[in-house]
Amino acid sequence: MKAVARLVWSYFTGTPVLRAFTIGGLTLMAIDFYILATQPQAGEKFWLAMLGIIVFFVGSALMPVMFGRLARSHAAGVLPGGRVKLLISVFVTILLVAIPAGVLAPAGFVSGNISVPEFMKDPRARDYVLQLSAITFTSAVLFAGWMYLAMWFLTSQRNMAGLFKGLLVITLVIFAPAREIRDLTVTLLWNLQQIAVIWIVFGAGFLLWPRFKAARARRSRERFPGFDRALAGNTAGREFDVMLGTANPWMLVAALVLPLLLATRFVREFPAVWIYFLTICSVVTGAFTGQAAERSRALWLRGDWSRPSLFASVERSVWRHNGVVLGVLLLVTVGIGKYARFSPTLLMAGLPLLVLGTLLSTYLGLMITRGLRWLEIVSGVGVMLSLMALAVLVARERVDLAAVIALEIVLVVLAIVARFVARRRWTQIDWMMCRPDRAMTARGA
Amino acid sequence: MTDATVEASNLSKSFGDKQVLQDMSFGVSPGDVIGVLGKNGAGKTTLLELMLGFTPPSAGAVRVFGHDSYSLPGSIKSRVGFVPQQDELLDQLTVADQLRVIASFYPRWDSSLITRLCGEWGVDTNARIKSMSVGERQKLSILLAFGHKPELLILDEPVASLDPIARRQFLEQLLTISADGERSIVFSSHIVSDIERLANRIWILKDGKLDWQGDLDALKESIVRLHIRGLKPELAPFKILGLLNLRRDGAFATAVVRDWTPEAQEALEKSASVQIEVETLGLEEIFVELHR
Repeated sequence: MKAVARLVWSYFTGTPVLRAFTIGGLTLMAIDFYILATQPQAGEKFWLAMLGIIVFFVGSALMPVMFGRLARSHAAGVLPGGRVKLLISVFVTILLVAIPAGVLAPAGFVSGNISVPEFMKDPRARDYVLQLSAITFTSAVLFAGWMYLAMWFLTSQRNMAGLFKGLLVITLVIFAPAREIRDLTVTLLWNLQQIAVIWIVFGAGFLLWPRFKAARARRSRERFPGFDRALAGNTAGREFDVMLGTANPWMLVAALVLPLLLATRFVREFPAVWIYFLTICSVVTGAFTGQAAERSRALWLRGDWSRPSLFASVERSVWRHNGVVLGVLLLVTVGIGKYARFSPTLLMAGLPLLVLGTLLSTYLGLMITRGLRWLEIVSGVGVMLSLMALAVLVARERVDLAAVIALEIVLVVLAIVARFVARRRWTQIDWMMCRPDRAMTARGA
Repeated sequence: MTDATVEASNLSKSFGDKQVLQDMSFGVSPGDVIGVLGKNGAGKTTLLELMLGFTPPSAGAVRVFGHDSYSLPGSIKSRVGFVPQQDELLDQLTVADQLRVIASFYPRWDSSLITRLCGEWGVDTNARIKSMSVGERQKLSILLAFGHKPELLILDEPVASLDPIARRQFLEQLLTISADGERSIVFSSHIVSDIERLANRIWILKDGKLDWQGDLDALKESIVRLHIRGLKPELAPFKILGLLNLRRDGAFATAVVRDWTPEAQEALEKSASVQIEVETLGLEEIFVELHR
């Protein structure tokens, strides 16, 4: 148990940034719980708890990364009970992240009543609160599990396959609950059944993986020798883009469009959900540029470019890639708009939102020349929240066009600032500091 | 303009508060094969990457073929080859594709040399890079640095993952490259025997400084072990200039000294009335003694 406790502790406190998020999340939740418990009619202040839960969840972001690394390492196989302990630590983390939702959601509901003691005297009310707590908790367990899985795909498999899997999971997480809410199909039993099936399958798969891997290794390693080569495509004339990883935008197009097409099977209405998800897609389009600085290292010695001219070439290459993806995304949005009956105003305000999503994430990505630090994290989270807020504004029945345009102008200015910062950083780029592990090596000497 | 391949003056580098390299000055001339030695964390990688402009110096400057390394023009870069410690290969490509991609950046790419070396080193050009072992990836990284026949070749621990046969083939290739006496090679390695076999000059990094730079033969003549006989007990303690390590046992003593010269030996024999026998050390022993 000591090893499990140590692992869980590391997930929440592994880096100073995550430690701050964990403490911040706990503090916000504690403040909100105090307000809910002491002030009458405080249910409206539940947003503070929601923010606390999200911040607390982000604080455990190291879990999928550490889990992925340890699961692949020899240590998991060599240490006594290594894989079992690792699995338990993941389950415990998910439970820890879900508990606040299970406590605070019913607290927010109860706090909305004029007289809480009177309300709680009614046995039916008590039963309802308990059931609400159990359903919220189990739903949170499911949701957190899926989100961790998406994070794991996006962070550990830094390729199109990882992106595709991550987006697929996010699609399911966004659309499946939306459908359940619409059809009112969620029950405690249904949640427990899902948790049982998912964890039995995942646990068995994880514990049996080494045996499966050994069996697979005995078979031919080269079943489809030409497959990857075909994916890589013809490289002639696009060597710069190949080195930078921007040669083939169509893989990203597929990774974005396929989940969207799948999502149309789940839901037709909910323009707000659609515009929200499309905004996420537009941000992912640019997010890939976060690796540009690291990958450009291999280009430095291979061309007649100074640092500023290398940035200009990288910027052009990135836009050759992202421009195609964004173009397709805009076309898909028009198609979805027709399918999901978007109002013309929603479509007109939504399309610039997607352009902004790509623009901002592209330049925020290019700003990352020394790994992720406070400025990058705060800017990223701030921009993401702004885009989400804008998506909510845009999707309202009565769109406040003036507010939308004002916010979009602010975001355009932010994009210009981000480009300026990125360009400035690239003029002084230090390739020994581009990646966190490289930076650590550099500091070590 | 200067004939030196690389020239550094008062070069320093720090990361935040940590000073990694301090006030280094050195030169690399055509024909030099320089082996860089240092403990883990001594700053070998930092030094090599400074020379290539990957990272800016905190003070001082490095000039490669007369140009500041931080802003090397393309014409100079095409004369430089580099094998990084961590390979920068593209996993999704095949070996042939990776070679084609890199070749496209150089106007003078010797395809026949690379094809020959692929055959000799057993590199399968149809293999996918992501399915290759660490050693195979290292071989490919080395081939990518050879193809344009660089005049300055910098290698950061190039043989760490190679098997003994591949290591031998690699060293033979380096010997071939350096045989014309016009190219310069700078390489770091923890395998001291390789450096001893290949290098004609040695740089030893210690505490952020170049503790030794010079010819391998001069180093071996300079740092030696003395076997001293005939010490009189009443003479203790006695002093030896450049002493690194001393072990005394009655009338006998063993000392490792640096900057040793026949004159110093004669002076010590006279002043202490002792007999001294000088033992030449191998490079590995010298390295260990310098870091005791």
